[in-house]
Amino acid sequence: MDSFAANKRFAQDIGVKFPLLSDWKRKAVRDYGIYNEESGYGTRATFVVDKDGKIQHIELGKTAIDPTGAFQVCDLLQKKKPTKQ
Amino acid sequence: MFALSAFAQTAPKPPSTHLKVGDSAPELVLNDTDGTAVKLSDFKGKKSVVLAFYVLAFTGG
Repeated sequence: MDSFAANKRFAQDIGVKFPLLSDWKRKAVRDYGIYNEESGYGTRATFVVDKDGKIQHIELGKTAIDPTGAFQVCDLLQKKKPTKQ
Repeated sequence: MFALSAFAQTAPKPPSTHLKVGDSAPELVLNDTDGTAVKLSDFKGKKSVVLAFYVLAFTGG
């Protein structure tokens, strides 16, 4: 929800190696169903999306801070053999 | 009884979403730190993606 300029400074400060995206208009949190109308902010959440664009893991709320579940799903997805088309 | 009722009305709802495992992830088009638009669909067929919505963490909003 920060501007991309604020995110850039933040990314430089902590040295992130992944895209840090700005949901300035709160569209993403609305589309993902995690926008809280009362607070005006989104809920903390982690979604793992596979190569086919399907959601494979959802973690909502305070526990989303812990990336263990997402790591486990990513590990499984890496080991998964590609399906023949 | 009234007190219990009032408490029940103010208790925060657990976080939820209409999405579930197996659903197609809604498209995302968001700007990265350089202002370049990044689309979730750009990764389709190439990489799995972790979307971490980290609201109000370290930054101003």
